[in-house]
Amino acid sequence: MRLLLTLSLTLMLIGLTWALAVAPTEAIQGPPQRIMYLHVPAVITAYAALAVVCVASVLFLWRRDPRWDRLALAAAELAVLFITMTLVTGALWGRPVWGTWWTWDARLTTTLILWFIYVGYLVVRAWAPGERGARAAAVIGVIGILDVPLIHWSAILLRTLHPQPTVFRPEGPALPVSMLIPLAINAAAFLTLFLTLLTLRVRQERTLTRLVEILEGGA
Amino acid sequence: MAFVIAAYLIAIVLFGAYALTLAARQRLIAELSDAARPSPDP
Repeated sequence: MRLLLTLSLTLMLIGLTWALAVAPTEAIQGPPQRIMYLHVPAVITAYAALAVVCVASVLFLWRRDPRWDRLALAAAELAVLFITMTLVTGALWGRPVWGTWWTWDARLTTTLILWFIYVGYLVVRAWAPGERGARAAAVIGVIGILDVPLIHWSAILLRTLHPQPTVFRPEGPALPVSMLIPLAINAAAFLTLFLTLLTLRVRQERTLTRLVEILEGGA
Repeated sequence: MAFVIAAYLIAIVLFGAYALTLAARQRLIAELSDAARPSPDP
């Protein structure tokens, strides 16, 4: 746990220093393109969190084991954190490059819908605690991930202001190595931070559940 | 460059806000642990 946190913070320090001070300035966009080193790792981590939510939700609906529910809840909170980061850094990148903070284009809109789906997941958990809320949220956790392929394909199949994928392409990344290395380091930093926070949050939820059981049992 | 700095600051704020929620839960765990601890015999 401490090792994971140290690894993630070290990678983040190296990655962000590289992104801000060493990586070349993009010829057309200029300095705002450096937001990519936050924006892309945030979205990659959000997708990883959503995959954890989906798998844990399926296993919870199948096995009814509360351990899977706790994992899904912890991952959903982190998914909202990283999707929020994706949307905010995207707006800050869009303003100087596109001339607007926001536009209702297919990729941005489907990403906003994704954010609403997982905020909805957390609202369900808050308003309907217990087994019933957990089951309803698990259904949202499974269905919600269907928005991810829509987000990915929206920039490929539709006319959007958002550029087409430059990293995850069948032909390979379109970025030069000098940009790809800091991007990969930041992605690794975000993913290890996600794993650290996920572990911590699951442990907290497990302890809270046990304490509530003890207190309710003693009452 | 202002947009880049703003993006990095917002990322720090978001991580900080999440860390605060973790800290608040940790305090709650400490309080509940105290409440759950059996009172010592007189």
